[in-house]
Formats: sequence, C-alpha cells, structure tokens
Amino acid sequence: MDIMNIDIMDILMYAVYILIFPGLLFTCVFGLWLAGIDRKVVARMQHRKGPPLAQPAYDFLKLLGKECIVPDGAARITFLAAPWLGLASLVVTVLFIPIGGLQAFGTGGDTVVILYLLTIPTLAMILGGSASGSPFAGVGSSRTMVAIMSYELPLILIILAVGKAAGGYGVTFSLGQITLFQYLTAPFILDWRLVPAAIAMLFVIPCEVGQHPFDVGEAETEICEGPLVEYSGAPLAVFKLSHAIKMFVMTALFSALFLGGVTTGMLWLDIVLTLAFCSVVTLVCMSLLHAISARFRVEQLFKFFWTVVSGLALVSLLLVWFC
Amino acid sequence: MFKKLIDNAASKSPWLFHINAGSCNGCDIELVAVLTPRYDAERLGFKLAGTPRHADIVVVSGPVTVQSLDRVLRTIEQVPEPRVIVTLGSCPRSCNVFKGSYAVAGPLDKYVPIDVSIAGCAPKPEAIIDGLALATKILKEKREAMK
Ligand code: SF4
Repeated sequence: MDIMNIDIMDILMYAVYILIFPGLLFTCVFGLWLAGIDRKVVARMQHRKGPPLAQPAYDFLKLLGKECIVPDGAARITFLAAPWLGLASLVVTVLFIPIGGLQAFGTGGDTVVILYLLTIPTLAMILGGSASGSPFAGVGSSRTMVAIMSYELPLILIILAVGKAAGGYGVTFSLGQITLFQYLTAPFILDWRLVPAAIAMLFVIPCEVGQHPFDVGEAETEICEGPLVEYSGAPLAVFKLSHAIKMFVMTALFSALFLGGVTTGMLWLDIVLTLAFCSVVTLVCMSLLHAISARFRVEQLFKFFWTVVSGLALVSLLLVWFC
Repeated sequence: MFKKLIDNAASKSPWLFHINAGSCNGCDIELVAVLTPRYDAERLGFKLAGTPRHADIVVVSGPVTVQSLDRVLRTIEQVPEPRVIVTLGSCPRSCNVFKGSYAVAGPLDKYVPIDVSIAGCAPKPEAIIDGLALATKILKEKREAMK
C-alpha cells in the first residue's frame, strides 16, 4: 500500500536530481570548467598562453573516440568497471552537498556518508590499476593508498571541528545544519577558531583530488601515471572526468563547510556564486600550489599531512572545544 | 551530432609520446623546447603523455638502432587507434650521419608507415610545431575514417 503512495512526481524529481541538477550533467560541466581554469591559470603563472578553457572537455571527447585496449594480463571485468564505479560514487556524493541552499539528499549524517563516498573513487582507481597487471600500476596503487591515509586523518579532524562549532553542545554531522548555522550567524571562515582548520582543508583538497604537488600516485614523470598506465579510450576518459568532478566536489564541500554553502534565496544567483567560490578555492589551493612547487616524495607527503596539516586541524578542534 | 563533437575534438587534444630510437639528443632537446613557455605547444592542446596507451601522436627521433628497433615497433603497436606517426629530424628518414653503421637498422619507413616527417638536424622548434599541427589534421582525418 505504501509503495503505491510514492508519487510519480517524486520519482521524476529524483531522476532530475541524479541525472541533471545537481547530479551528473551539472557536475560534469562544472568540473570540466574548473579543470579548464586550473590549466589556464597555471599556464599564465608560468608565462605561457595556455590551452583554451575548453581543453579538458576536448580531452574527454577525444578519449571517448579512441580505441579501448584491454591488456592480455588484465582482469577484464574489474578493469572496465572500475572507472564507472568511481564516477557513480562521485555523482552520489554531490547529492549530499548543499549547493546554493539546495541539498538533494539531506540526512542527519551527511559528513559521515561523504567521508565514506569520497574514498570510493580513489579505491576504484586502485582497483582498476591492480586489475591491469602492470607493475607501474602496482607501484601507483600502493602510493595512492598512502595518500588516502595521509589526508583522511586531517579531513576527519576538520569535519569534527566544524561539526562541533555548528552543533553547540554536541557534534553535528548534518551538512544542512552546518550551513544553516552559518547562514544565521556568520561563515566559519570568519571565525578565528576555525581558520587553522580552513587552512588544513586547503591542503587536503589537492591531495584528495590528486593534484600536483600531492599526485604521488599518478606521478607521470616517474611511474607513467600509476594506476592509469594501461588505460586508454573511454575508461580513461571516465577517469579524467572523475578527476575533474572531484575538483568540484571538494571545493563545493569547502564552500559548504566554511563559506556557509552560499545561500541568498535565488537559485540561479546561488549557483553563480557557488561557481565563483569554487573557482576561487581552486585557484588558491590547486593552481597556485601546482605552479610554484615540485612533487612531494611519498614519505614526505605522509609526514607533512600527519604533522603540519593534522596539527592545524587539531588546533582548531581543541579551540572549538575549549574556547 | 555526438560523433561530430568527438571528431572535432580529435584534432584539438593531441597527446604526444616521444620515443628516442638512438638519437643524439639534439632532436629531443628541440622537442622539449617546443613545450617551454617561449613556444608553448600546450596552447594547441599538446601534452606529453607518460605512456603510449594515452598517446595520439608518436614522435620518433634517432636512426632506429638494432637494439631499439624491436622496442620502437612494440611501443607503436601499443598506441590506440587513431594514431599518427611523426619522425623528428633527418635520422629516422635517412639515418643521416649514422648511415652504413652496423648498429643501425633504420630508416624507420622500412617497418612502419610514416605520416609526417619533420626535416632538419636538428629541426627548428617552429618547424616542429608546423609538423605537429599537420599531424593533428591527419589525426582528425583518421578519426573520421574510423567506423
Ligand atoms: S637528426 Fe641530427 S640532431 Fe636529430 S637525432 Fe639525428 S643527428 Fe641528432
């Protein structure tokens, strides 16, 4: 009886959420745009003219049109399914992040769900890499594993600090509540206790995305792009797209946690503002770092994240708890 | 319509894979110069790929020594279609000053069809960009001919 009550409109609504806004289509366009400005700005910082803004989109389309080779020694099904698994979980992640006051699937435990979902794309990459049977992919996979361990600890500390600040007596895990609290008071970036956490988050973003200088797993000059070494054609295109979408997911998460999710009331204005904020965050934490630094070694990365970045996040957590 | 988008993109994002088949390193340096801020081939979408699986254009330099012949052919085979083979400098086309050596198995066109050859010893960066731009056109034609 209950099942009959589900409205056809509801189902349509969810389909729109998942496939168009804020799901697949929207994140793809948005992510490719962010990847485009990232490449352009890095080029301008190095005194180059740089590729056109649509370059990541061209790359994606071109890869779709290439032949897809599956190596003889590969586990065929895992090898081909891994990129889609990563993309799907990223699209689901977006549904939990409030974009311009609109949160498709709000629950009481958004941040916990997001923490879990965010590891899946990286795990999918490790899975695909190991399935390809290439030794380069093996090295890349193990390095990617180290990268996950490095950024996960500070990310959890940051989310705890923000949750405590928004939750008052308890810790809240609901992103809706976190953004609402900031809407009613002030964005957390202006709260001095949370500034160290915001800085830590700016380091976590490029590491999670796998951006230079934290791209130990994909180091194309040392280990030929690690887990992606054997991929070609459409699966590679999906991995590149996931990479672009991850940029959007992480910057949107930052704007939800520290900028109050940008709510004005008008949906289109919110979207434009979110776009602007995400672009600024991308420029600060990804393009700037990319243009001025060389790649970390694996153990340096681990040490840096477990001392400096975790330290910053921990300072914030303690301040929020005791001040 | 979608096919048309893909065909158009084929010439706009050419990724290079560079094979050194016993070159004297002169050509290799010039190729790297093409990617530096002064000539910036990235504005045309060129990017050096780390692995042949990601490449669209294979750039071969050097006279193809006996040792490298097998590796060159195997690497070229690993590049997914559509692919374009470009020779860089005089060496892969004529063996240049290395002609007649017991260690040289070239020229390359004895083994694989060549799409573009860039002349010079070593070629100027301008000539390389010109040759690569021609290669992207051929890449697009090959993509349109697929299926
Ligand atoms: S063409 Fe000239 S510069 Fe290039 S590899 Fe041959 S000898 Fe060296």
